Amino acid sequence: MRIIILVALLVPPLAAAQTASDSLTKGRALFRSNCAFCHGATATGGRGPNLLGQLSHGDRDEDIQGVIRHGIPGTGMPKFRFAPDELRSLVDYIQSLRKGKPAPPPPAGDKAAGAKIYATHGCSGCHEIGNEGSVFGPSLTRVGAARSYDYLKQSVLDPSADIPDDFQGVTVVTAGGHRYTGVRINEDTFTLQLRTADQQFHSFDKTRLKQLVVDKTSLMPPYRFGDDDLKNLLAYLSSLRGPVNANTDTRHATEVR
Amino acid sequence: MNLKVWCAALICGVSVSAICAADLPFDKIVNAASHPQEWLTYWGDYHATRYRDLNQIDDANVDRLRLQWIFQTGVPGAFETVPLVLDGIMYFTANNSSAYAIDARSGRELWRFQYTIPKDARPCCGTLNRGLAMIGSRLFMATPDAHLVAIDSRNGRLLWDSEIIPANGIYGASMAPLAFKDKVVVGVAGGEKGNRGLIDAYDAATGKRAWRFWTIPAKGEPGNETWGGDSWKHGGAPTWMTGTYDPELNTVYWGVGNPGPDLYGDVRPGDNLYSDSVVALDGDTGKLKWHFQFTPHDVYDWDAAETPMLLDLPWNGKPRKLLVQANRNAFFYVLDRVTGEFLMAKPFARQTWAKDIDSKGRPVKNPGVEPSAEGTRVCPQSAGAANWMAPSYSPATGLFYFNVREGCDVYYSSPPVYEEGKGFWGSIFRGETGERQWGRVTALDPLTAKTKWTYKLYQAPWAGTLATSGNLLFAGDEDGYLMAFNAKTGELLWKINTGNRLATSPITFELDGKQYIAMPSGSVLLAFALPDEVVAGKKK
Repeated sequence: MRIIILVALLVPPLAAAQTASDSLTKGRALFRSNCAFCHGATATGGRGPNLLGQLSHGDRDEDIQGVIRHGIPGTGMPKFRFAPDELRSLVDYIQSLRKGKPAPPPPAGDKAAGAKIYATHGCSGCHEIGNEGSVFGPSLTRVGAARSYDYLKQSVLDPSADIPDDFQGVTVVTAGGHRYTGVRINEDTFTLQLRTADQQFHSFDKTRLKQLVVDKTSLMPPYRFGDDDLKNLLAYLSSLRGPVNANTDTRHATEVR
Repeated sequence: MNLKVWCAALICGVSVSAICAADLPFDKIVNAASHPQEWLTYWGDYHATRYRDLNQIDDANVDRLRLQWIFQTGVPGAFETVPLVLDGIMYFTANNSSAYAIDARSGRELWRFQYTIPKDARPCCGTLNRGLAMIGSRLFMATPDAHLVAIDSRNGRLLWDSEIIPANGIYGASMAPLAFKDKVVVGVAGGEKGNRGLIDAYDAATGKRAWRFWTIPAKGEPGNETWGGDSWKHGGAPTWMTGTYDPELNTVYWGVGNPGPDLYGDVRPGDNLYSDSVVALDGDTGKLKWHFQFTPHDVYDWDAAETPMLLDLPWNGKPRKLLVQANRNAFFYVLDRVTGEFLMAKPFARQTWAKDIDSKGRPVKNPGVEPSAEGTRVCPQSAGAANWMAPSYSPATGLFYFNVREGCDVYYSSPPVYEEGKGFWGSIFRGETGERQWGRVTALDPLTAKTKWTYKLYQAPWAGTLATSGNLLFAGDEDGYLMAFNAKTGELLWKINTGNRLATSPITFELDGKQYIAMPSGSVLLAFALPDEVVAGKKK
């Protein structure tokens, strides 16, 4: 008990002079430079999920702080190292945006029907859910938590609109005339390593290639669905929030100031 | 067995080479060009040309280079040192304030020194170190908690330890010091922590401070009027890289870092002298002789910590003492180093911020390039089109060689509040999504800034260059390749993947008739040389 009291005394007092509006201004600046990149300037989502309405990891201040500090494993959400007062300002600002904003309705559509569409269209030929499927494309195990509904929709209809750097497609033609297209696993000034759709690695000496093209379009083809099928598929994808290894699958944010 | 005894024993031996902890007189450093077999300062000499007249390894045989030995420091973290080589012994530092002397023939350790940072010290900026300075039998190392220490080169014993300034979470030091005559000069890091930069000189024998130059003038001093209000007190302008020295002029040239807060300039109206400048200081007194500011009122974090290289070249047909710098702001500058007169500035990389540099050397900015709350895209990126990585100059080709970084950033800005020990940035910069940064090894004519050749690198590099009279240019890249180019043409002649990003510059030296190339990578130091039969063939 004594230890607890001592710790409490060591915690510096809150900066009383900082007014609520100062804090919001600071939070807004931090949001714009660190968060808007994925969550949109108004927090309605982008690559990352919409922050208005229901939040998958809880909507209390401490929940949001926890997500920012620890990241979300298996998603693009990294760990941020903010000072305590910055973190408070940032969460205050996010909560101020959320205030009075109704939760967006859960995606209309039938998950089970969506799962069938996923199976019949051969999605697992490139994507993995849990340990099922191919590692060629991005894992969809937690895609419902990682991406906004609109981003998922765009990814199905127009996958080339935003190609994640980790899944950049590259096509090479070797001196012998063989053509390979795959995901760029690694590239440097002299070499290139690709993973082709059959999940095999290939290594190339760039100086000996006839051609090397960084594909402008995604390796995933655009899909056309009827309204209902699309809604069902998106409902299924949005529901994918499976477990990942929390210790190994979160990265630190870079360029945080 | 102590080193003296060992040394004597070796000299008595028949087929073994003498290996004696050595003495480095000032004159020898002044005449470093006449001792190409040694590497005597961070830059190799006082002028920072990073050129050695050694040609055993040349453009015809460099592809026969072989690994000779590896020294494992076992120390994780950045290994950005540049070893010194004198009389067969190599002296260098690693991360976390360790220093080493090793046998340059075998890579075997002779002694190791560890500086311990006091528990209550609060270094501002990490624990990396970029190397040692040497004069006499003393080595000098700057420390993360902003101390300067002297080490006995014979056994690695601490001789003295002088606090530059209390670290207090806002100061630190990582650069190799600069030693000349009876002095050691050192600077500080921490420009992102709202500190106030300084350059200090210490007595090499005693560690007593000889002079100090504050890079931000105090109230009442000339230049203070370039800082609105009290902004000068936390204006940064750090001095985190080694300067150069002209023995004839007894002048120290030092690059000064960015003003703070980095990206928010409204709280510091004015040019913010001497941030982003090179300052020329009297070696004996530290008195300012002249200054030149590259980026007045910087809002991009474009330190002028890049190498202030000293060249003696004909300018418009007349021999002139020049200072050249490939600046972080994407312009290559030529100044007269006697007077500080501006002679030329030309862009060497993609840049969108300046319309022109006027006849006095002052940039004319483009409209709409200020960092903003919404973000403003500007080239070059905050890390700069060049940075601290060492360039080199070859008198044989007349070319200036350096690694260029091509990239742009979106610069965000918002008013920060100064709190001691915390970051004082004024928001952030961020790489533009989908826009890759990349690099170039580049050779340009320093008299015209015209590019003679360029070799594209996949990533923007953080490693430097080395030129030799073997018509070779060595350079490192971010993917870990150590590369050798034909210095005249830029043709790639040799490369090796060292397995870790390269973040310092290669050196060369000669021992027992064999030329070596040494390069730190990861936590190891690699040494390369030609096979004996190639060396023998070359000597015929």
